[in-house]
Amino acid sequence: MFKNFEFKHKVIGICGANGIGKTNILDAIWYLCFTKSYFTAIDGRIAYTPNQGFRIDGKCSINNQAVNAVAILRETGKKEFSVNNDLYTRLSSHIGKMPAVMVAPDDVIIITGGSEERRKMIDTLICQIDETYMQQLMAYNKILLQRNALLKQFSETGFTDNALLHIINTQLITAGSYVYKLRKDFLPAYLERINKHYQQISGSNEQLELSYDTPLDVFNSKSEQDAFELLFAQNHSRDLAMQRTNGGIHKDDIKFLLDGMPFKQIASQGQRKSLLFAIRLTEYELLQEYKGFAPVLLLDDVFEKLDEQRMANLLLDVCVKKQGQVFITDTHKGRLEAHLQNVGCDYEIIELV
Amino acid sequence: MNYSSTLLENAVNELAKLPGIGRKTALRLALHLLKEKKEAVHLFSNTIAEMREQIQFCSVCNNVSDTQVCNICASSVRKKSIVCVVENIRDVMAIEATQQFSGLFHVLGGLISPLDGVGPDQLFIESLVERVKTGTIEELIFALNPNIQGDTTLFYIQKKIESFPVKITSLARGISFGGELEYADEFTLAKSIQNRISIERQKNNY
Repeated sequence: MFKNFEFKHKVIGICGANGIGKTNILDAIWYLCFTKSYFTAIDGRIAYTPNQGFRIDGKCSINNQAVNAVAILRETGKKEFSVNNDLYTRLSSHIGKMPAVMVAPDDVIIITGGSEERRKMIDTLICQIDETYMQQLMAYNKILLQRNALLKQFSETGFTDNALLHIINTQLITAGSYVYKLRKDFLPAYLERINKHYQQISGSNEQLELSYDTPLDVFNSKSEQDAFELLFAQNHSRDLAMQRTNGGIHKDDIKFLLDGMPFKQIASQGQRKSLLFAIRLTEYELLQEYKGFAPVLLLDDVFEKLDEQRMANLLLDVCVKKQGQVFITDTHKGRLEAHLQNVGCDYEIIELV
Repeated sequence: MNYSSTLLENAVNELAKLPGIGRKTALRLALHLLKEKKEAVHLFSNTIAEMREQIQFCSVCNNVSDTQVCNICASSVRKKSIVCVVENIRDVMAIEATQQFSGLFHVLGGLISPLDGVGPDQLFIESLVERVKTGTIEELIFALNPNIQGDTTLFYIQKKIESFPVKITSLARGISFGGELEYADEFTLAKSIQNRISIERQKNNY
């Protein structure tokens, strides 16, 4: 069951009833940008049942260069990905070539969920901008596993090999201080911009504070390495007792405060959604600055929970001021069309039946 | 699968324990042995039993050997002042095959990896420290895998022997010989640029 679509305008509104496949179109575009689905890690799940494979074939233009990306999942489970008939051997080398930003309803987990979600958010972005960051982060995670296994071993055998622990600490510090330094340099400006976007969307004077929260900052050390050394020294006996590493960049978080209170406790659904938008729009801008061209923006079901004023502010920003193509899904054709007409952008509506 | 003989089944079970051998291949090997003359199979099983029974690990470097000290360590022409530290016996063979190394070896028997339950005690690190203590070694060449566990092991040993006057080196990392630049991964290429070598040295490399 193949379907063909042509997206000629700057803003594409996609509407239709529940379960008709609106989000599917967004996910297909995301797949071509990131070689995987936004919603699931298992490729077979996005195939049209009862089929076991699929083919997504997309043509677009990046900086006036024609690009034809094709993703194929064979029935055997084999995945093929090619750009302009050039088959990739390593899928990861495609990431970053076709930048895209998605806003989906479930993403509020970034705001309401655990700190892991927020680290994932900043890591995904910085990894696209700095490749060494990705390597150091991967190394850090591997060494962290070794360190925790070692701490377990100490408690099982009743013998603490401080020399070996010191060596593993040194390795962890080497990788960790790179990540720490980059987060420290990168995050303040990033968070500042998120705040600016939030004020724009909300159109009010809500006092939002965002800050990078890391156990390493309390030491106020001259170098990142020193901070790590001090943190490990401070946690030494606690680490041994609890058999895991209590401090490090794997405990970093981003704190959101609204009027001085934790954002996730007092913010309404709409305010959460506004913050989510602010985060995604900032990612969009940074990617655009770094890549030199605008990413694709995919907005899934964004009309829910936002009031008229916020929606109008937002649409004006993404549909008129931003240069890239925008895809918006909604269940109500009338509402979508009215909004797009209101901001006066170049749009088309695709109705799925 | 149903076997008409439990003897055959036992043989298949044993063969299937070998690495890389599945049950079908095990059956094929067993049937092959059945077709062979009895003496030939005797020789085969004896050879294997003898290997396990009589082989020794060199008391100096932990390499496999027929004698208490292996022929590399016992050789009078090899330089006793340079020792190449490797993970396992296969690495010794790989380096010997280059015919470029005339020093001695030290086989660690693995790499430090707490995740896999391997600590320094399970490896032949103490015996290496003892060798260094004797003072005959001038240089240790670490030929360990370029990964996190390899580095942990290297740093750990280095720490243990830092008070002794020994030069410590490790294998060069970079573009493989006969490789093409565009196919080298960026990390390797970056390392190669950082650790570039002078053309004079390159000329002598052939």
